[in-house]
Amino acid sequence: MIRLSGRLRSALIIGGQGIRARKTRTLLSIVSLFLGVLAVVVVQAGAEAANQAALADIELQVGKDGTRMMYVSPEKAGAMAAALETLKGRSDAVGVIGTSATIGEPGVNPVNPGGAPFDRQAGGPDYYYGGGPGAEMICDERGCRPVDKAQQAEQTPNGQAIELRLSALTGDVLPFRPYRMKSGRWLDFTKVPSLSPGIVVNLEAAKGFARYQVPAEMRIYGVSTNATPRIIGVVDDGVPMPTAYTRVDELLNWVPASSLDMMGGVETLLAPDAYAVEQTLRARLVGLGVPAEQLRADPVNARKAIEEQLRLVRLVFLGIAGLVLLIGVAGILNVGLATVGERVEEFALRRAVGTPRTLLAGIVLAETLLTGLFTAAAAIGVASLALKVVGSILSGRTPIPLDMEFPWQAGVAGIVAGLVAGLLGGLIPAIRAARIPIATVMRA
Amino acid sequence: MTPLIELDGVTKTLKGQQEPRTILSGVDLTVQAGQSVAVLGRSGSGKSTLLSIVGLFDRPDGGAYRIDGQDISRIPERKAAALRSAEFGFVFQRFFLLKHLSAAQNVAMALVNGQGWLPRRQRRAKVMAALEQVGIAHLAKHRPAKLSGGEQQRVAVARALVRQPRILLADEPTGALDTETGNLVIDVLHEATRQGRALILVTHDWDHARKMGRVLRLEDGTLHDVDEYEHAPAEVAA
Ligand SMILES: Nc1ncnc2c1ncn2[C@@H]1O[C@H](COP(=O)(O)OP(=O)(O)O)[C@@H](O)[C@H]1O
Ligand SMILES: [Mg+2]
Repeated sequence: MIRLSGRLRSALIIGGQGIRARKTRTLLSIVSLFLGVLAVVVVQAGAEAANQAALADIELQVGKDGTRMMYVSPEKAGAMAAALETLKGRSDAVGVIGTSATIGEPGVNPVNPGGAPFDRQAGGPDYYYGGGPGAEMICDERGCRPVDKAQQAEQTPNGQAIELRLSALTGDVLPFRPYRMKSGRWLDFTKVPSLSPGIVVNLEAAKGFARYQVPAEMRIYGVSTNATPRIIGVVDDGVPMPTAYTRVDELLNWVPASSLDMMGGVETLLAPDAYAVEQTLRARLVGLGVPAEQLRADPVNARKAIEEQLRLVRLVFLGIAGLVLLIGVAGILNVGLATVGERVEEFALRRAVGTPRTLLAGIVLAETLLTGLFTAAAAIGVASLALKVVGSILSGRTPIPLDMEFPWQAGVAGIVAGLVAGLLGGLIPAIRAARIPIATVMRA
Repeated sequence: MTPLIELDGVTKTLKGQQEPRTILSGVDLTVQAGQSVAVLGRSGSGKSTLLSIVGLFDRPDGGAYRIDGQDISRIPERKAAALRSAEFGFVFQRFFLLKHLSAAQNVAMALVNGQGWLPRRQRRAKVMAALEQVGIAHLAKHRPAKLSGGEQQRVAVARALVRQPRILLADEPTGALDTETGNLVIDVLHEATRQGRALILVTHDWDHARKMGRVLRLEDGTLHDVDEYEHAPAEVAA
């Protein structure tokens, strides 16, 4: 114990004297290593950010990890009604019915046929909505592009109506999909269902309402009666298409139950441990003749799926960062070898007065490891500062939330990269230092 | 009485640029505590090689090397380092001072060597005592660049003395100094043998050699006793 601490203290003094005598060299080593470590940190931070963004997206649009999804098809008559009845008033399972609705003047073309996002007409970049499988394309001598639905709408009788997706909920979906309230309030499932349905719209739908003067009359696909909805709130649900949310029971106040089967089935979100309700639901549906194998509850496992998707990209970028790091290692190695070459006499002398060679090797290695750590600290500092700056410049301009914390994984990666580089760059100089022959150096 | 140092038929062959050369072909040497020995010899005769074996910088190829009767010619490097620290003090022709450290720090480096640990205050006391012994305590804070050659060599002697080793090895310590300064350094070294230390001094200077208790010459790989009449000035000057 005493011997060890004596060694350690000696090492600290000798190492400290060495670094102080060669500040410029230490700085040069840090500079040569900096880009490589920074590259590793940035790649890890970027991968983590992409992961989180993708995960947040899936959480909003599909469900949190662990949520189990079961689809109840409208094929069997009464299946949907049975599902709704089973799920009614529950908090550990929520059913979502999706259908299409138009709000505004009756008998006209909506400004966004098919429920498309409103800004697609502006001809601006289509980076978010993209040309998905459903997008219609038009091709002519100028090349191919998505059908300009605004132009189409202008050619038909001009109507003040907005088409949107209507999601009717049996209960509160927020525990499964954490939508962010933007204004107003969320649907209140504890109250008695109102006769005029309250709806919460998403940001895109809110944009449509703000832009076009539409009468508050709502038609639902396949339903003949119209209702007058009240917009009670706006949420950010991560969905690019205009969407509205309402209570199923309020919807059923003006939609006849018979028209339910015209809609798109019940997407059921089950809490990870909601086995009882799952059993009941399955038993009832099987009783109605739904084949049991259609009633699978698949858990959302987005984190793993995303990580698998991004792994290759991450590896490729890490490989590039590793190459940059390797150049830095070559730099630190160069500086380290030059330093040992310069310190041959010092090391021989230290060995002559009894300093063990392992201690000298340890000091050389410790100096480069320390350099690696300094570099990692600098790179992490710069990267997290850059993240803050970029985040504040871009905030609000992209659909991805950029107010994220600096991911700890990137910090760990930076420290590991710094230490590994220090080890690689310091090992050979350390071995050289340990091998310096005293007799040859000190011979007069 | 067990001698402090005992070399018995020590041989050493160095791998030269062309073929291996036998430098030491059977050196016998006995040194008691408090004894001083001068080693003369032509340049290239192997004096430094001999000192590097005595000082455990290097190992003999054959023969026995005993300290206090213990054969140490085959000990592992770890133990050799510990012995160098505890038992030996070295002075070389070149001073080997670290230029980024003060005189006191240069002396202290023999204490800060991973062999045991002294608190700063005790370290400082020992360093100052050693600098006092060589008469340059007032220069403790100076860097080597600010010191004369003689002062630098005295710092080196203080570094050799600071652990109060039983054996002092000096390889042409006055080679880079003028006569007067050289004499001063030799006197300081010789003084140390009065406290029971053994001293082996390699030198070309007869005046220095004859101050030692015993004078030897290394020739053809072995040591021979020398007396004043045998001494020829031309040889020493070589
Ligand atoms: N590292 C070495 N390898 C091979 N030969 C060496 C080495 N160092 C010195 N020599 C040779 O060994 C001989 C003895 O050298 P040395 O002990 O330094 O002599 P001295 O100190 O008496 O001048 C010289 O001929 C020298 O050239
Ligand atoms: Mg010599």
